Amino acid sequence: MFIQSKDAVLKVLRGEKPDHVPNFSGMGSITLSGIQQLGYRFNEIHGDARKMADAAASTHRLFGFESAVVPFDMGVVAESLGAGMKYYEKADQGQIIYLTMTRKLVDRSTVTMPEGLSEADAKTFVMKEIESQITNYQLQKPADVAQAGRIPIVLEALRLLKRELVEAVAIGSWTLGPFTELGQIMDLEVLLKLSAKKPDVVNRHLQFMVEYLTEVINLYIEAGADFITVREMGATASILSPRMFKSLVLPNLQALFGRIKRVPTVLHICGDTNPIIELMAQSGANALSIDQMNRLNESRAKLSNVILLGNYKPFGAPFCEGRPEEVEEMIRQSIEQGADGVWPGCDIWPVVPPENMQAMMAAMRKYGVKSG
Amino acid sequence: MATAEQQADILERLKNGVIEYDEESVVKASHEALETGMDAYQAVMDGLAAGMDVVGVYFANGEYFVPEVLMCADALYAGLHLLRPHIKMDPEKMIKGSVVIGTVEGDIHDIGKNLVKMMFEVAGFTVHDLGRDVPLDNFVEKYMETDSDIICMSAMMTTTMIGMPVVIEKVRARNPRARIMIGGAPINEDIAQKWGADGTGKDAPNALQEALNMIGVLRDLGDQFKAERVQKEWGADGLLDATKA
Repeated sequence: MFIQSKDAVLKVLRGEKPDHVPNFSGMGSITLSGIQQLGYRFNEIHGDARKMADAAASTHRLFGFESAVVPFDMGVVAESLGAGMKYYEKADQGQIIYLTMTRKLVDRSTVTMPEGLSEADAKTFVMKEIESQITNYQLQKPADVAQAGRIPIVLEALRLLKRELVEAVAIGSWTLGPFTELGQIMDLEVLLKLSAKKPDVVNRHLQFMVEYLTEVINLYIEAGADFITVREMGATASILSPRMFKSLVLPNLQALFGRIKRVPTVLHICGDTNPIIELMAQSGANALSIDQMNRLNESRAKLSNVILLGNYKPFGAPFCEGRPEEVEEMIRQSIEQGADGVWPGCDIWPVVPPENMQAMMAAMRKYGVKSG
Repeated sequence: MATAEQQADILERLKNGVIEYDEESVVKASHEALETGMDAYQAVMDGLAAGMDVVGVYFANGEYFVPEVLMCADALYAGLHLLRPHIKMDPEKMIKGSVVIGTVEGDIHDIGKNLVKMMFEVAGFTVHDLGRDVPLDNFVEKYMETDSDIICMSAMMTTTMIGMPVVIEKVRARNPRARIMIGGAPINEDIAQKWGADGTGKDAPNALQEALNMIGVLRDLGDQFKAERVQKEWGADGLLDATKA
């Protein structure tokens, strides 16, 4: 295990030269083996600060992974704004099922349907009604952000990690980006159509999101986060046109990163990022995170001075289902193609076998140590 | 009756209305199709569905993205709702299949699923839509209860697709010949094969492309169904068996 883990992570994020290519993540990186060793069930680690912190630290403790990251689910901010969450408390021991939104601030559940409509008319009515509700909606911050939803749990978990991991490992936290977060609290289908039909309406909500996310992120930093990742995967070029990314999404990312001053930041977008990687580099984030769909060697060539983190596939084969040698080869390729940090394209799938986690860490020591 | 030129013009406007997400134009052309006595099934398949085929190509080429595709789907739906009640139940043309569809537990992303559902409807299937965040056992129960031909599962996130092999195993245990299709952003052919599913979109960059690709899969499936039924009802020699008719 490297003694200089935290130092290497922070150096990479600041654009300085570390002693090795660090192997870390700013997104969920818990393993089922780690959780089971603690005696916890997957579904109880999202609502309890002690268990959240233990689970986050376990990947470092078991495998030498070079960051500890909370939270694990994508509902924290949405819940703090009033969205309804399902915790799947009855899920089987060992079953991996992440928290989901059951009710958004505007969705089908907020529409009162008149009686006697045919199925076809009902669908049209619901869509029109949701569109009008989104158009007129005034988003409101909770009275006390630090006490809203599970934000206090994340804050306490960060404080525990800060106290207990001391200087051993970098502590990461994350939120979704303004656009993706808006999709968590308003009907996604209508929101996407409005982004084309009435961009001003969507932009008004995005500006609220920038302000609100800034507050949440600053609380995370005060509680102990050493770096912040913003995950704007809803605006990937698999979903939005690069043109719309540039006009609607990028200005709000710039506003958000412009407000986060105290720690390094990472912008993560998954799916197809090849057409927007240069726009992503204008966001103001210190580093960019991409997944396996990004042609890393091409991105490296386009952006010689930008910190690129990526881009192994943290689910399926080979990471979760292949042999350790295949995992090693996957990591070797990431480093060879120019990744500044070995970093997954998404949350690590918790079912990853311990021997593959070990193979990944070993590959970093084998290929990622700078000579001289 | 409309002349051949009028019919071709109406089909063209249905198709272009979908491609250009012009709901108004689709509605107008649909009314004209009905008023002039056009075959409603032809209007759906050669007008609306043909337009959606082009949308699929635009999407694959990066000319259209999800918002545009959703608006195209709205235009298609507007026409489908007008035309569908007028489709004559001609066994030569209709598929009698039925399908159970839903987004797996833990996943509330249903845009891709809804598009696949729409394609099944266009093709004439009866669709049992379980909605989103569907407990895994519900797929199996609904499938057995409705004696459906196909079970279709969707997951948008890598974190939720893990439920799929569980359902596949349970369904296979009860009916080894069940047709199972899976789709969603993280699903590819390797995964489908590994888990024992029968189909998914090919080389799909994401869930929606898969849904669009499935138009072709569905048309093939439709032909297969028709062939099987013709054989069942008419006999392998193509002659009507009076005892079965």
